[in-house]
Amino acid sequence: MENMQAVNNFVAAYLKKKGFKEAEQLLEDLQNKESAPIDFHNDPELAKFIHRFSQSEDDVARYQDGYSKLRSWTYSSLDLYKHELLRVLYPVFIHSFMDMVAKGHLQEARTFFNNFREDHELMHSRDLQKLEGVLSQSHLEEMEFARSLRQSKVNIKICQYSYDLLLQYLHKTQSTAMLGVINEHINFQVSSGQPSSISDDAEVVTLIGSCQDTANQINQKEIHWGLLEDSLEERLEKAGGLLSDSEKTEEENKEGDADDTKKRSVESGKQGASTKKLKKEKALNATAKSARPEASTTPAAPRVKAKLPLPLMSTEVEQSILEDLRNRVQLSSVLLPSVSFYTFLNTHNGLNCSSISHDGSLVAGGFSDSSLKVWDMAKLGQQGGSSILQAENDSTSSEHVVGPNGGKRSYTLFQGHSGPVHSATFSPLGDFILSSSADTTIRLWSTKLNANLVCYKGHNYPVWDVQFSPVGHYFASASHDRTARIWSMDRIQPLRIMAGHLSDVDCVQWHANCNYIATGSSDKTVRLWDVQNGECVRIFIGHRSMILSLAMSPDGRYMASGDEDGMIMMWDISSGRCITPLMGHTSCVWTVAFSCEGSLLASGSADCTVKLWDVTTSAKVPRNEEKSGNPNRLRLLKTLATKSTPVYSLQFSRRNLLFAAGALSKNL
Amino acid sequence: MSIVAKETIEVIAQSIGINNLSDDAALSLAPDVEYRMREIMQEAIKCMRHSRRTILTTDDVDGALNLRNVEPVYGFTSGGPLQFKRAIGHRGLFYIDDRDVDLKEVIEAPLPKAPLDTGVACHWLAIEGVQPAIPENAPVGVIAAPSNGNTYEQKDELPVDIKLPVKHVLSRELQLYFDKISELTLRKSDSALFKEALVSLATDSGLHPLVPYFTFFVADEVSRGLNDYSLLFALMRVVWSLLQNPHIHIEPYLHQLMPSVVTCLVSKKLGNRIADNHWELRDFTAKLVALICKRFGHVYNTLQTRLTKTLLNALLDPKRALTQHYGAIQGLAALGPNVVRLLILPNLEPYLRLLEPELLLEKQKNEMKRYEAWRVYGALLRAAGQGIYERLKIFPPLPSPPGHTIWKSKEKVVTAVPNKRKASMEPLEDEPALKKIATDGPIGSSASVTTLASSGENDAGQPSSSEKKTGNRVGKDGQKLKKSAILNQIWKDDLNSGHTLVTLLELLGEGILSFIPSPEMSLFL
Repeated sequence: MENMQAVNNFVAAYLKKKGFKEAEQLLEDLQNKESAPIDFHNDPELAKFIHRFSQSEDDVARYQDGYSKLRSWTYSSLDLYKHELLRVLYPVFIHSFMDMVAKGHLQEARTFFNNFREDHELMHSRDLQKLEGVLSQSHLEEMEFARSLRQSKVNIKICQYSYDLLLQYLHKTQSTAMLGVINEHINFQVSSGQPSSISDDAEVVTLIGSCQDTANQINQKEIHWGLLEDSLEERLEKAGGLLSDSEKTEEENKEGDADDTKKRSVESGKQGASTKKLKKEKALNATAKSARPEASTTPAAPRVKAKLPLPLMSTEVEQSILEDLRNRVQLSSVLLPSVSFYTFLNTHNGLNCSSISHDGSLVAGGFSDSSLKVWDMAKLGQQGGSSILQAENDSTSSEHVVGPNGGKRSYTLFQGHSGPVHSATFSPLGDFILSSSADTTIRLWSTKLNANLVCYKGHNYPVWDVQFSPVGHYFASASHDRTARIWSMDRIQPLRIMAGHLSDVDCVQWHANCNYIATGSSDKTVRLWDVQNGECVRIFIGHRSMILSLAMSPDGRYMASGDEDGMIMMWDISSGRCITPLMGHTSCVWTVAFSCEGSLLASGSADCTVKLWDVTTSAKVPRNEEKSGNPNRLRLLKTLATKSTPVYSLQFSRRNLLFAAGALSKNL
Repeated sequence: MSIVAKETIEVIAQSIGINNLSDDAALSLAPDVEYRMREIMQEAIKCMRHSRRTILTTDDVDGALNLRNVEPVYGFTSGGPLQFKRAIGHRGLFYIDDRDVDLKEVIEAPLPKAPLDTGVACHWLAIEGVQPAIPENAPVGVIAAPSNGNTYEQKDELPVDIKLPVKHVLSRELQLYFDKISELTLRKSDSALFKEALVSLATDSGLHPLVPYFTFFVADEVSRGLNDYSLLFALMRVVWSLLQNPHIHIEPYLHQLMPSVVTCLVSKKLGNRIADNHWELRDFTAKLVALICKRFGHVYNTLQTRLTKTLLNALLDPKRALTQHYGAIQGLAALGPNVVRLLILPNLEPYLRLLEPELLLEKQKNEMKRYEAWRVYGALLRAAGQGIYERLKIFPPLPSPPGHTIWKSKEKVVTAVPNKRKASMEPLEDEPALKKIATDGPIGSSASVTTLASSGENDAGQPSSSEKKTGNRVGKDGQKLKKSAILNQIWKDDLNSGHTLVTLLELLGEGILSFIPSPEMSLFL
């Protein structure tokens, strides 16, 4: 405390000398607060002044000198506090560099950068690559990343003692350059007690500027992540619960179900009829259900109302879905899924994306030559692998004879785009396909008519991703123009535009209840948006590189995101926190998918593997022992290696069969 | 300071016709050029990621330029990765080998073959989490690229075909191992080395990659070598050893193995010489089948039902050869007492009716056929006996001392049975099945109990041929009939039979040595 006092006295004396009354006052206030979070941020003027002081009096060499001293001091500090102090180094480093650039000392800045970049290479290599290119003041202005860094402060949680140590050091060495940088760009959140654990550094990893301050605020917003009321699953569950011989819940369900049926039969005759049928089949369900393990061990999520008008489902479709749900295999850590793999052959490096329909019968591939090709597996493979090959051979040979126009292909070719197709998605029933392309359009195709129905124009730049909503009809797109948009099939204008990401929106995914969409971006954040009002309701910070894939758990509680480095993060949607990072992949995670009951997560990567993760252990255990800080809880259940076939897409069928697709690439 | 040198800027300026670029201008342009380049690379990397690639291509750079509304750089589109060459004398300096092409040559050259069209192949990456080591899981590049029309003729076989031109990663050591084992199996199956090989197959880890090859090998050789008894036996022993190996997952290949194994069990003819002891092979295969069912029955719940159906069909088809019947009975018996009780015992009576003419000297003149019939009869006895023996074992022992009458009756029956057997088997003195029963001790005797019981059962309903048969053989012994009637009751009344038979068995278990051997001995004498 004495040291702290000394520093404060020093600063106060300095301020007095220069005549900064306000600042002096503020400092006194701060001293009185003591252990409360010290927030220099309240008065940007103060920081500015201090900074200007350091600027005017010190030449650039002071930065280099000051930083190297600070660095060696940090590395030699006590182990217990070291990792906290190390966090300070990175912002100091990049801001020192940018200060030097801003003052025009380019040569010195470059040497400084190269001298110390190794320290941060591990954690921030991508940021460093970007910053490396900053070579003049104008670049600082122009570059989004640098600008947002300059404009905002970094929040660093630090314990009281580390904070004292740091101040003491800065005071002793009188390195005003460092003090200036720290004051201007770092917002210390001093907490009393023990230093936080090493793993808890998610916040400091991503310096994304403005949202840093608002992120916490945004993440306070309320989210209704429960499933839709009256969903098919729910109905089935109730139907099953009716006859299962569990005591109390049974009766409750019965009542609920009775009410439900009454209400719905009043509502519409069509639906009423379907529920009658449903009732008939309850007896059948019961046998299937009783075999199921207790699905209701997790507390039932609060049901929510759909904010969008949902499309009606025909009775036959409903029946077939119910049939699928009844026949669903219950996967768990001991019962792993069967994986059917669709390998694209002879793609000549042209396959950009693939998509598999919900029942696995259709496979679509989007190619860089602007074409979209759809294979009907039912036509191809009546008798398994060998006959597929045969059919393929047949078609290729016949094509050679007849020529490209009249030849019988093994696939349906959809032509219409004028740029590489970057994404394709099947509607839940498989009757429509959407494809997005670098030509800035999204096209809707009918698999029944084999024709293009609509071309949606709205984005100004390549559309990276498009996803049908779980109920169909609506879809969301993500683009290089930094927006995500919501569309409905019957309108050519977007219904909503979600703007806020600081870089490309790379992937998009619907929440299970259709009221939210999640977007992953090159700015290394994942955001959750309210579909109804277009507001950002969550920001998930923690990834260290571009986010490539997203998946929502079927119960709506969790979200998984995969990035360029091979890291997968599991998020709790309601709290906005990362439950656990899943490490194992060594290259881009192109796709992630939850199994239908949410117990397994499958991920497919450019390292030619499909990995299966146990979600139940990962998601539930850490919540109980949140404080004890047990970071890597999630269990890798199985790694399934393909042979030089990167996995582009994964899809669990309603019966929990896993479909995977990828292109065989020889030069891997 | 910038990685782009001032000179580079000057050279570029000259190339577009600006000769008098000042040094200052070049100096301040250099960093900006670097920045723009980095910017384009950043966008190009995004394009690469969205094309699901990890290698940057010229297309990506063109895409990035497109994003920035810059004219793409023409002339660099190429399908494959660019071939960089190292400049001689300069470390870290590379250039693209850009050869001059004679236009005439290009025009006159024959059209290259059209590239193959894109296709989709489907295979199981995993079955319930276990990866089958099928060739499709290995690189499949060449499968869809048939160089000539007749390749798919071959492919139309089993899903696993080692003849496929597939680069399945198999180390040289494993290949050698496979060759050695198959060589031994084919040629020297009676050598000591083969025994060693079997041990190795049963214990070595790391054999998993070979499993598809072994299954194919077995299936192939069995279908080809049905006349070679020793080969078949060797193959079955290989399968047995593979099943023993705890390090390999043989489940995905069972569907291929089962047909060959069942063939060795119920085939009409195994081996072409009379000296071939195909009975032994059938017994062994029956044990094998039982092992498979025991180990994988819970995984494939249809396995056992399908198997029993096959075997039962073989058994109940009167047109099949007796050897096939024998195999079927052995197979069913090996599956356990429940199968015997549910499937064999209900069919015992009609079957024995069929079998009877074959057994008798006067009706079946062919010595060989009769021998076979007796074999089948012995197998039936054993199966039934085992069934009832196992069944007896599960009942808890009765605490009360056994009733003397029952004990007595049992004794009578037991003594009666060998007598009967003796009487009936006198024509065929060297009946091996009989020997087996005799040596089997308790099983053998309980087997006879069952036959008696079942025949007694028949007796209760109507005068059946089997009863007549036994009656004929033993003679019209009224007491025997009474005993069988008692046993019949015992058999029918489940609960009572349980207790009484257990008591009997207890008696037998202890007393068997004291009184069973004597009649058996006498038989042998």
